[in-house]
Amino acid sequence: MIGAIVLVPVLVSVMVIVALTKQEESSAPTGRGGAERAAALAASVPVSVLDAVGMGSGITPPRALPPDTPPLAVGGVPEVVYIGAEYCPFCAAQTWPIVVALSRFGAFSGLGATESSAADVFPRTQTFTFYGATYTSDVVVFTGVETETNQPAPGGGYTPLQALTPEQEQLLGTYDVAPYTDSPGAIPFLMIGNRYLSVGSGFDPSVLKGASRDEIARALSDPSSPIAQGVNGTANALTAAICGLTENRPAAVCKNPVIASIAAQLSSAS
Amino acid sequence: MRSASVCLALGALGVSIYLAIAHLTDPEVLACAASGAVNCVEVTTSAQSVVAGIPVAYLGVAWSLAMVGLCLPAAWRARAPWIRPLRLALATSGLVFVLWLIYAELFLIRAICLWCTVVHVLTFALFAVVALAWIGEPDASSTRAGA
Repeated sequence: MIGAIVLVPVLVSVMVIVALTKQEESSAPTGRGGAERAAALAASVPVSVLDAVGMGSGITPPRALPPDTPPLAVGGVPEVVYIGAEYCPFCAAQTWPIVVALSRFGAFSGLGATESSAADVFPRTQTFTFYGATYTSDVVVFTGVETETNQPAPGGGYTPLQALTPEQEQLLGTYDVAPYTDSPGAIPFLMIGNRYLSVGSGFDPSVLKGASRDEIARALSDPSSPIAQGVNGTANALTAAICGLTENRPAAVCKNPVIASIAAQLSSAS
Repeated sequence: MRSASVCLALGALGVSIYLAIAHLTDPEVLACAASGAVNCVEVTTSAQSVVAGIPVAYLGVAWSLAMVGLCLPAAWRARAPWIRPLRLALATSGLVFVLWLIYAELFLIRAICLWCTVVHVLTFALFAVVALAWIGEPDASSTRAGA
């Protein structure tokens, strides 16, 4: 019995030391749990806030593809494909508006917590990972691929996570090149039903600098915050683009005057 | 020793109720940092904050209530032979559960909840008191048998 009393503090000390050692060994630790609350907040940004932000400020909306581009769909349902990586800071930023926008058409579950690499620009940008997450919607299919973790690989780069399918490889090879993008081969790559394309982050990731996941999620409900301007503004642009795929379903989202106005701007830009 | 045990159990009960209220209302009411390694919201809203559909905060309240009952002076004086082993078993189960929660915080959630840590420390102290009492005091039933 005395042994147990002595053993417990020793055991806890060992666990703390191992945890600290693991954290020090990793330049960008990833936690797969603990994102539920932030994900819930990102999925439920009030419509009044999204409407107040509109296109926000300083955002890059998705680019319209030529009208004769064959549609991207799964079983007749339009598909949105995201290809990114956990280490990538621009992916970390872009994930936020993707979650906000797609949550208006369906629901995510199992979004994990992650952060961008500590050794890259905008280090340790707090975000979610699509790895292990599922998305359900009646009007759109979402496929998220995280090709690499944020853990450095022994030979350089980052450890692989998810492999691309031949179709996704082809998508990158066809559209992640000039003239569709100014940054060939860049990620995040977001293909919206082969009608709109976004490569890179839609807003400046620096607005997320130093903010915890919870702080970012809470800021989304304050239309005056730079985070809401960037994330929600980009999300509205993505929402308008997705409405172009779904034949304006659901009406509550796509007939919203702000979204309809942005959709008109996206169309005229093409 | 006996009065210490009821104080520790009451302390654990108080903090558990605080955590349960936060779970019921808004986790952000917790007076605790919300960024970095110390992040109560991250811990109390994690997947590990619910076991078999029951929030851990509620389990903490139930466990603390039971320990308060078993550590009251009347319970220490009681002659029923099942009270001492039940008290030790409950204290031990609480300690094992706390070790799992510490593992979850350190390796799965990667964040520490200060209020949870207070409960963990109180649980360990309560186990130590109950265990020392178990060692130091003869079994009531055997005492009676020998008398």
